[in-house]
This record gives sequence, structure tokens and C-alpha cells, in this order.
Amino acid sequence: MFLIASAFNSMNPMIPYASTFGIISILIYASVNKQSIAKVMATFTLVFVLITFSSASTEWNQYTNGLVDDVDDPHYGLPDSWDDKQAVCFHFPEGYTPSNLDDGRHHFDSNGTDFKIDKNWNSTGGCVGGFEGYDYGLNLFNAAVEATNSTFSYNYTQFYFGLQIDSIAGISPCAAYTCATDSSSGAYWEMLHNGAYSLVGISDLILDSNSVITWQITSY
Amino acid sequence: MNNILEDEENAITMIDAHAINLGPNGMLIVNVALLSMIGWALLKTEKSITTQSDVIILSLIAIFAISGRILLDPIPNIQPVTVIVLLVGIHFGATRSIIFATSIALVSNLFIGHGLWTVYQATGWSMIGILGAIISSKIYVNSKLSINPLMYIAALCGFVFDWIVSLSALHVINPDLFLLYILSGIPFDVLHAAGNMFFVAWLAVPLSEIMTRHISIEQPSVVENFAKTRL
Repeated sequence: MFLIASAFNSMNPMIPYASTFGIISILIYASVNKQSIAKVMATFTLVFVLITFSSASTEWNQYTNGLVDDVDDPHYGLPDSWDDKQAVCFHFPEGYTPSNLDDGRHHFDSNGTDFKIDKNWNSTGGCVGGFEGYDYGLNLFNAAVEATNSTFSYNYTQFYFGLQIDSIAGISPCAAYTCATDSSSGAYWEMLHNGAYSLVGISDLILDSNSVITWQITSY
Repeated sequence: MNNILEDEENAITMIDAHAINLGPNGMLIVNVALLSMIGWALLKTEKSITTQSDVIILSLIAIFAISGRILLDPIPNIQPVTVIVLLVGIHFGATRSIIFATSIALVSNLFIGHGLWTVYQATGWSMIGILGAIISSKIYVNSKLSINPLMYIAALCGFVFDWIVSLSALHVINPDLFLLYILSGIPFDVLHAAGNMFFVAWLAVPLSEIMTRHISIEQPSVVENFAKTRL
């Protein structure tokens, strides 16, 4: 019962969309003749979905993000001053870390100051943090790249389903791992949100006030 | 003086369409206009084709489907391919719809991004074509297409296709997360479903008429008679 109630509460933002759609549909049914009802309803449905897509999709993303269990404390190992703030981490494979970052995990504040190196962390690279108020993953990602004077500059390919990150700091996944030409095996820049695999890409990611985005290369 | 001439040359170079930045909405209008021109040309060309060869008409429809997918790419998940493959399955049967679906997936992806997902898209659309062939006798009765049921089936196909393509995510995510992955994509599935309903409402009847005018597949009764005479 509690689960049903909490699910209903979480989905509340979708109810206005459904209600508006229902009311306008009834009005169309009542006013349009039967011969053209299919065309009018189909056109209205498409226009309605397109107009509301951005906001409805944002609400839905926040709902589904809440269903993913965070892995332990995503801020574990990050500076205490970044608690309740947003951060982006870049972890590179051994032997493929840019030379200025290969002595541990560097920590840059939102002004780009490299203020701490964690030499005991289990991977090398860097984290840029202390950000506040970012709602969208791509905006936080770009802010982190800009803050560090493009230390973590990236290349990407725009596909119809969103952005695919091809390289970060000049490191492409297939440089670190063997990628088959038929794509049966390979590697990619994987994005974690609060320590868990993100169900959406960086261009669709909706953030929490203390989100931690982690980029790492994973093979398959 | 030389500088003035160079400036004039630059000014002349700039006065062409490459200098106009239409923005995403402007480009979408241009793309829709282009697709309308292709659709109009398809209708005109089809009327002048006298042969009963279904290969020619399937090729023309494939050009429209591929153009539709590429030109409508700026709108996520709205494209006419799913509905056209469903109609090809209804009118031309499973085998032709599989060839049609796979070719469209491959050729359009050469423009908008080819990779492992092409296999899943080809499989998804082939399944839609097979579904069309299975429901053909119920949807296409007395040379008439039942539009309302077809709209609901096309909407359902939007979800089914997206879920088949989503199986490709299992290459990279833990299977435990798959249901959540499907759940997070529902807004995009709804877009696909709404687009399919729109295309059925506006395109199913004219496309169905074009297809039925050029069917060269032997009807089952003819095959049956042929088999009897052979025996």
C-alpha cells in the first residue's frame, strides 16, 4: 500500500498532462465528424506529445532516476567541501592517463584550481567539483571541462539517440582496449550517475543537487 | 584598392544559400518540404508505371521511407518507416517486408549512424513486417484497410520496435537494470507511437492504394490451383 501511494505521489507531475490530453480529446470527439476523426485525433496527439515532450520527459527522468539505487555514498573519497554539491570525475585506464594526471586522482575546484591529489585512489585522473544549481548533465559536464581550461576536453558524435562521447582528454576507448571491427567487442566511455550506471545519456541526464557524474572506460 | 576588390569578392561569395543559418526549426521546415516533394513525386511516378513488378514500387517506397527517416531525424523517434514496413508486411508478405526493412535500416543508418544497433533495428522492423503479414487478412478486408485498428497496432509497434532495439543495451548494461532502462525510455516510445498513429491516419490509405496496384505476388488460390494441376 505504501509502495502504491509513493509511486502515485512520484507520478503526480504526469497527471496534469494526462488530464489535459483527456479533456481536449473528449472535446475533439464531440465536435469533429466521424470521417475525419482519425486524422484530427492523430494530428492532435502528435502535436500534444511534441509540445509536452521536453517537460514530460524531464519529469519522467526524475521519476526513473529515483528508482536507481545509488551505490553507497557517491561522494565517498571526494573533499568534504563538496558534500551537497555537484562534481564530475574522470577515471582513466592504467597507462592511458594524461601525463599531468597520472600520479593519482586530482581534485579541481569549480574555479579550476588543482587543490588536492589522492595518491591512494584506485584509479588515476581527476574530479572537478563544488558546482551548484545545475539541472542538466551536459551543462555540468561542460562547466567542469571549461573550469579546467579544457584539461578534460572531449570529442563526441551526435547520433539520433543523443551524444556519444568519443574521447576525453584525447583518450579514446579503443586506444586503451582492443575493439573488433564488427563491433562484437570493444570499449566505450561509460557514464555513472551517483555511482550507478546511468540509464540515459549525458544529454538527457537530469541532476540532483549533489549529483556526482563519473566517466570511465569500460570494455565489453 | 586590392583590399576593396577582395572585400567585394568576399561579399559576392557570401551571397549564397550556404551563408544562411536557418536554425533547427528552419531546417525542419526545409526537411518537411523536401519530404513532401519526394512524396508528391512518388505519387506522380507511380501513376506512370504500367508494369506489375512489385520490385519497382517497393524501391520507390523505400526511397520515401529512407528520406523520411533521414529528413525527420531532428524530431526524436518520429519517422514513417515503422508504418511503411507494417503496410509492406500487410500487402507484400513477410519475406519482402524483411528485405525491405533490413535495406531501409542499413541505408538510412549509413547517413545517420551505422553500428551494432543497425542489426537490432533491422530485426525490430522485420518483426513489424512479419506482424503485418500475420494480421493482413484481418486488417485488409474486401480491398479496404481498417484504419482504426491499424492505428492502435501501429502505436503498439512503436513500443515493440523500441524495446527490441533496446535489447542492444544488454551489451553494456547489467540485465538487472534492463527493465529500468525500458522504463526510462517510455517518453521516446510514446513519441514513436504518436508518430505512427499520425502516419497511419494520413499515409496508410494512399500508400496502401499504391501498393495494391502493383502486387505481383501469386495469390494463395492461384498457388493452390497450380498445385492441383501439377498433381
